[in-house]
Amino acid sequence: MTIVDAQTAPFSSLPKRRDPVLIGLWISLVIVAIIWLAPIVFITFTAMKSNPEVLNSAAFAPPEKIVWENFTKAWVKGNFNETFVNSTVITFIKVPLGLLISAMAAYALAQIQMGWNKFLLIFVLFGAMIPFQVMLAPLFTLVNSLSLIDTYPGVILPYLAFGVPYQVFILHGFFKAIPKELTEAALIDGASHVTIFRRIFLPVSLPVLAALLILDFVATWNEFAMALVLLQDKHMWTLPLGLMSFQGQFSDNYGQLNAAIVMTVLPATIVYLIFQRYFVSGLTSGAVKG
Amino acid sequence: MANVEISAVRKSYGALEVVHGVDIDIKDGEFVILVGPSGCGKSTLLRMIAGLEEISDGAVSIGGRVVNNLTPKERNIAMVFQNYALYPQMTVAQNMGFSLEISGKSKAEISSKVNSTAEILGLTPLLERKPSQLSGGQRQRVAMGRAIVRDPAVFLFDEPLSNLDANLRVQMRAEIKALHQRLGTTIVYVTHDQIEAMTMADRIVVLRGGVVEQMGTPMDLYDSPANMFVAGFLGSPSMNFLKGRLAADGSPGLTLEDGSEVKLQHSPQGTSNQAIVLGIRPQDIAVDPVNGTPAVIKVMEPTGADTHVLVELAGQDLVAVLPPRLKTTVGETIPLSFASPNVHFFDAASEANIPCDPKSEHDQ
Ligand SMILES: Nc1ncnc2c1ncn2[C@@H]1O[C@H](COP(=O)(O)OP(=O)(O)OP(=O)(O)O)[C@@H](O)[C@H]1O
Ligand SMILES: [Mg+2]
Repeated sequence: MTIVDAQTAPFSSLPKRRDPVLIGLWISLVIVAIIWLAPIVFITFTAMKSNPEVLNSAAFAPPEKIVWENFTKAWVKGNFNETFVNSTVITFIKVPLGLLISAMAAYALAQIQMGWNKFLLIFVLFGAMIPFQVMLAPLFTLVNSLSLIDTYPGVILPYLAFGVPYQVFILHGFFKAIPKELTEAALIDGASHVTIFRRIFLPVSLPVLAALLILDFVATWNEFAMALVLLQDKHMWTLPLGLMSFQGQFSDNYGQLNAAIVMTVLPATIVYLIFQRYFVSGLTSGAVKG
Repeated sequence: MANVEISAVRKSYGALEVVHGVDIDIKDGEFVILVGPSGCGKSTLLRMIAGLEEISDGAVSIGGRVVNNLTPKERNIAMVFQNYALYPQMTVAQNMGFSLEISGKSKAEISSKVNSTAEILGLTPLLERKPSQLSGGQRQRVAMGRAIVRDPAVFLFDEPLSNLDANLRVQMRAEIKALHQRLGTTIVYVTHDQIEAMTMADRIVVLRGGVVEQMGTPMDLYDSPANMFVAGFLGSPSMNFLKGRLAADGSPGLTLEDGSEVKLQHSPQGTSNQAIVLGIRPQDIAVDPVNGTPAVIKVMEPTGADTHVLVELAGQDLVAVLPPRLKTTVGETIPLSFASPNVHFFDAASEANIPCDPKSEHDQ
């Protein structure tokens, strides 16, 4: 979609000669897009085929007759009633909360001189550098000692702890780039830090916030390893855990398996489609000059 | 409205002191311009008045109240920044009404104040636009509107016109001056442009290296500069400085390094043969075929109304503003007279002004 826009809009008024570099870039983008789209097409089509059709038709052939049953059956078999709710609760609490904490921390680090800002930032960055896989065992011990295994806070808190540092890092860089005169003008206008944060920094940072929200939503929605360790009770499972168990039990029913995959991935896609329009760049343009 | 009193104010960044004890007394309703070369501490001083920069030592009071420890908001000032600093996601109207909104004014009051201010500045048709949809001059007006709406005790301007093109700058200069006459609010204005300072200020403060070199009305500073720096800073083209020695016989005149003599109308207080610097504005040099000292023309720049001539005299370059349509060309010599009543004398070592010898004036 964006590829087409970028191609036609600025060039329509020019004569037909096009930059070979752009053409090369365009072709490679199409190739990459195909590589990405192929599995999605495969999964979507297979999700709508009956089992005999899956075995007899070509992989990328569209379904002859759409079998909606796949979805309803997969929903029941995969216990989506529970896993979907669990995933939704965890993601819808963690993502906005994490982003808010990160943005506030980044604002404080970038705008309020406390003398040890640099040290704090390095400390936060350090948190972003540790791969969480090496922390799984101690994390389990910690969460267990707090008796939070198999609870929502038991996953949400570790998710926050591992998600916030890199968001703080990215937002701090962005906030630092906001001209300091904007803050000063607001201070003179009588704004408090809360007001400056809410009325100036957040609106100006909308593109980054949208990007972080999408990335974090997808990452949280699909998170597997930590959930596997921290959620032992089947009734607390999230979608990826449910999907894995589904795969183990019904791996010969391709249609239903793929229907389960489609249902798992769909919310992330919808969130992406909703928020991608905020990726407009240059929101600070016109603020300052020179 | 309020007066602003700056007494013995210093500013240090760590061990580095950049403002070295500045005293300025700004009267209620006065338009004071801080002027000086880049890095002299103008912005720092202004930001200390605004409360955006801590005051290391000394005191700033606004309306008789020491404000050193008050927040910018509590000082009741408004500031216009060089780069406008408009809130990018808000419309012009929202930008202008932001401070009123924060202070909890009613919607009706905000919109009536914004509208009347927009009227003054000619911004009414632009009220619903975003800053990115405005030209530089319009943005500058919005920034001023944002300041005016608040009806502050003092306006602070930090080089508000330096991002505008030359024509617009002239226009905005007149607008700001008219605005000051209309509102009567105290203004502290920072610029490095001496023309802005000369044309707009009630009083100019010339700063250099964090100290006040001189302050006074524009004409005071122009007519009686305290030292060579102030003399060279104000006026365009800037003042010429001619190094030489006082005539040995005490007559009003200067002996240049190559031995040539320059006749003057009067001489400064001082001993004969003393090394001094003569300061003369390009407009005060005239062509005089009888008593003039010959100088070699290096460059001629006709501006239409007059001709700017760069000449060399005893190895020193001078600029003279002479009548248009001169009948000479580059490379020729031209006899120039320095015997204007408006010359200045400076001590060659201290660069301070040396007053004229009253006796020498009677001699004429
Ligand atoms: N945060 C800072 N740390 C250290 N030195 C600083 C800092 N801010 C300013 N300075 C120094 O203080 C001096 C005065 O700076 P200031 O910005 O007031 O100059 P200015 O007169 O406004 O110059 P310009 O006309 O270029 O704006 C400069 O020498 C500058 O290097
Ligand atoms: Mg400055």
